[in-house]
Amino acid sequence: MIDKNIDQLKRLKLRKNAEMRLKVYGILSISLALIMLSTLMISIGLSGYSALQQAYVKLEINVDSKKVLDEKGGFSNQKALLVNWDGIVSNSFITNFPEITKRSEKRSLRALMSSNAGYELRQYFQKNPDDLDENITIWLSASDDFDQYMKGRFNTSVDEKDRRLSNQQLKWIDFLAMEKISKLKFNTSFFVNADSREPESAGILGAVVGSTLTLTITILFALPLAVMASVYLEYFAKPGRLTDFIEVNINNLAAIPSIVFGLLGLSVFLGFFGLPRSAPLVGGLCLGLMTIPTIIIASRASIRAVPPSIKDAALALGASRMQAALHHVLPLAAPGILTGTIIGMAQALGETAPLLMIGMVAFIIETPDSFTSAATAMPVQIFMWSDSAERAFYERSSLAILFLVGFLIIMNSLAVFLRRKFEKKW
Amino acid sequence: MSFSTLLLLIIAFSLCSFFFSSSSAFKKIKSATSRPSALPKHYGQYSLAWTLFPAFLLLIVFTIIGPIYVDNFFKQQIALTEASYDKAKIELVLAMIKNISNGSISSDEPKILKLADEYSNYLSKIYLFRTLSVLLLSSILGIIISSNINILKNSRVKVETFYRILFFVSAVIAIFTTVGIIASLLYESLRFFALYPFFDFLFGLHWAPNIAIRSDQVAAQGSFGMLPVLLGTILVALIAMIVALPIGLFSAIYLAEFASKRVRDIIKPTLEVLAGIPTVVYGYFAALTAAPFIRKIGMTLGLDVSSESALAAGAVMGIMIIPFISSLSDDIINSVPQSLRDGSLGLGATKAETTIKVVLPAAFPGLVGAFLLAVSRAIGETMIVVMAAGLSANLTINPLETVTTVTVQIVSLLTGDTEFDDIKTLSAFGLGLALFAFTLILNVIALVVSRRLSEQYD
Amino acid sequence: MVDKKNNLKFKTKNVSVFYGSKQAINKISLDIEEKQITALIGPSGCGKSTFLRCLNRMNDVISNCSVNGKILLDGNNIYSDEIDPVLLRAKVGMVFQKPNPFPKSIFENIAYGPRIHGIGNNRAELTDLVHHSLEQAGLIDEVKDRLDDIATGLSGGQQQRICIARAIAVNPDVILMDEPCSALDPIATAKIEELMSSLSKSYTIIIVTHSMQQAGRVSQKTAFFHMGDLIEYGETPKIFTQPDQQKTQDYITGRFG
Repeated sequence: MIDKNIDQLKRLKLRKNAEMRLKVYGILSISLALIMLSTLMISIGLSGYSALQQAYVKLEINVDSKKVLDEKGGFSNQKALLVNWDGIVSNSFITNFPEITKRSEKRSLRALMSSNAGYELRQYFQKNPDDLDENITIWLSASDDFDQYMKGRFNTSVDEKDRRLSNQQLKWIDFLAMEKISKLKFNTSFFVNADSREPESAGILGAVVGSTLTLTITILFALPLAVMASVYLEYFAKPGRLTDFIEVNINNLAAIPSIVFGLLGLSVFLGFFGLPRSAPLVGGLCLGLMTIPTIIIASRASIRAVPPSIKDAALALGASRMQAALHHVLPLAAPGILTGTIIGMAQALGETAPLLMIGMVAFIIETPDSFTSAATAMPVQIFMWSDSAERAFYERSSLAILFLVGFLIIMNSLAVFLRRKFEKKW
Repeated sequence: MSFSTLLLLIIAFSLCSFFFSSSSAFKKIKSATSRPSALPKHYGQYSLAWTLFPAFLLLIVFTIIGPIYVDNFFKQQIALTEASYDKAKIELVLAMIKNISNGSISSDEPKILKLADEYSNYLSKIYLFRTLSVLLLSSILGIIISSNINILKNSRVKVETFYRILFFVSAVIAIFTTVGIIASLLYESLRFFALYPFFDFLFGLHWAPNIAIRSDQVAAQGSFGMLPVLLGTILVALIAMIVALPIGLFSAIYLAEFASKRVRDIIKPTLEVLAGIPTVVYGYFAALTAAPFIRKIGMTLGLDVSSESALAAGAVMGIMIIPFISSLSDDIINSVPQSLRDGSLGLGATKAETTIKVVLPAAFPGLVGAFLLAVSRAIGETMIVVMAAGLSANLTINPLETVTTVTVQIVSLLTGDTEFDDIKTLSAFGLGLALFAFTLILNVIALVVSRRLSEQYD
Repeated sequence: MVDKKNNLKFKTKNVSVFYGSKQAINKISLDIEEKQITALIGPSGCGKSTFLRCLNRMNDVISNCSVNGKILLDGNNIYSDEIDPVLLRAKVGMVFQKPNPFPKSIFENIAYGPRIHGIGNNRAELTDLVHHSLEQAGLIDEVKDRLDDIATGLSGGQQQRICIARAIAVNPDVILMDEPCSALDPIATAKIEELMSSLSKSYTIIIVTHSMQQAGRVSQKTAFFHMGDLIEYGETPKIFTQPDQQKTQDYITGRFG
């Protein structure tokens, strides 16, 4: 018989309760972690999705071709410089309100259009010179405050004096929206423009290209070095002080704050070697040094997981150690190395601090076109936008985060998937 | 010729020599009577290595040393023409000359214009010399090696030795990086300590690098006492650990000991993916959502919470570290052998008793290691604090007040145009050195501790 | 429930075990007598360890394992909902193949079981219990001066006897031993076997072993398993000298295994 004395049963109940408590703590912790992380993503998503749209205003415009075309009928940049595009835009805009005559009112009316609208118009005619001399309807960007108001993100409860839009201006916008002269449309400029002082024309293209250039350098620099180092450590290094020291260094570098790599880049790449500031080349090298330990650690684990019998089989056929390693072990370890590389690259893509140190934090309107031209990167762009005063930049910052995080999640999921798929039990 | 064109050219050269050598080796082997000692491709690789690498190294050396040499030469020139110039002025003139010669600014001073002209001439001469010597070295070596192929010599061994050296150098880069970090931090810090007393930096209670209003003021430098910054860093890291440690650890315990395989298979990758969210995103969340939220709660409770409170930055940092701790701890708990659990369960212990009294004590060293790594991460974390913590260095342990951290100060001192001689710039390297030393110690202890654990169960 | 013999400890009926869809043992019915040593033998993979682990529900630890059939301990079905595996395991202790002392002091290893079960409320009682258990395990003279040393520092044989002492300290009725000597050298094995014999005076012992000699030396009854089936069960001398089944004969004489 199993003793069922009261004492023991009482104790058992207590012990079971303790077990339950531990389980509950665990479940609570996991849920709490997941809740916090989803709060983070949802709050960013809610503030960012609206940046997919942008307020545009419909204008009717006619531009005389003589003003902008040269003798041969081509678009002349020099002549176009002399044209008052902003004036054309605001004159057309003001025709929507024939009753307005006062200069001050006209000024506050003009402020509703984006200050880049004239530039947009010019770009349009540069692309479509055939539309000159015609009466055309064109949608041009409204100002960022206009945009925010149409999205319902403009705080109207504040005293009028402290607002960026007056009651009169709000009425005008209401009128335009009601007459369908202004509309929220898909925000193309976010995807095809680089940074700008005006939120309505700021885009992520420059940062995306900058990140791509930077990561190209990073992977070209880090992957070969990391793989060669891992093969050396697993296959050729003799156990001893030097090898130990290398290992300690690698493990330590993997845990050093990223900003330290930025300081290294600032003082060595910029200070000593005189490489250009803000360049993807330098950014890529810094991130590469930071990524190498990550890839080495993953590669070594993956190489170690290949059973020695495979190497022995190759050696027994008369292959050299190098041939055994390169022909047999490395291909079998490749999925693990790939996984490590993806994780390392994802880490590098999201990294901000080292890039701040080497000056990739500048305001750059041009999309970078080489490894040495001044550039910025996605996370830095997010950082800069979220630091700006305009409310409309927050929104764009959130949208940029959604894109960056979406991309990173794809990368990381790919890594997790690859690891699952190729996880071999020998 | 530009760096990349040159590089492409010598790569093309070496590919040529590879194909030439391997095909000539192939022919020789075909007609030979004795058995060759290596495959044609080994001869090819051998000539490729000789054609590519010496020229590549030469190219790198020229590219780095060339401009430095030219700069020094022109510094001497300037010093000769204007004896009155001091060092700083010479640097300034040189920078001007450089900018004029690459066309980014213009000047109307004939002397400067002449120097700029000379500068660009000189530089283009250096680059011409670089082009010639690199191409010459590459082609000569390529021709010599690939026309002297002896199939009786075992070039496989030579190629493999070369690979081995290359692999070794790659491994040693880890050491170079560490040395580079320490050297550059030390070099700049020593320059800082030459301007500002070491002990005042280490034990000073006042951090205010921006006091100087005009640069020509006599007491133009601010005050660089590190302690308030350090205290702020520790405070934020402490808050982060208070949030992250229990949540991360309990999550790991549940995942490792109680969760069914299905739950584990879903939660673990989710946490891993979430661990990959960039810190700038957490920073954004901390600054724009968490900080106002905490401030609001504080206001309803009648507390005065700063809008850049240590609490907001620390709490969000804690959220960031949760997946880090949980995944590390999960791995460590899993590495405790099943036989220990069996032993305890076989005695009639409940799962919870087994976990708390047997598994966790056995995993303890590893968990300490994970904890230290997490602390090291919290201390070195930059973006969250840059975006959500403040700039003013208050000597306080009140989590509702604004504090600043080492990383925040480094970023604020080094962003924008930085002059290497400025005491503010140099002080950032002093802070960087302190940060590096601190995290190095934590990392090494963590390494030693967890290595001991793995030895115990191998 | 009417038992013909009074001293029947375990009664099993049609016990089958599945790991997922794979069947490990098939309808085993086996009765085990009290205060004797029963040996389970058979080639590796025959299901003898699986059967042993059913007897104190250690199979519960494996997630995809399911057990069918009835196992009665003193007449109570141990797989019924009323029986808590925790209390069951206090009655039916287990010693494993590889010595698995906790990485704690010798004293803490022995005292662990009593502590979790609330036996021995003060330090003095606990010390007595530890000494008594070590004495029963024949280890007291070797370790009495270093009870505070880490148990993992002992030799393999000593570690295994610590594990036995640890099991005894909970005062079980039955001790299950899963190849307790397979990781030990012959001298340590001899000591453990000696210990088993002396313990069988007060405990029911069931041992899984791959060594037929060991089964012959220590057990009173032997069960032969093959491919998940119980082939033959009887008095040890009979199994080893004149088995009923051809398969048993083949195994005993070393024709397979």
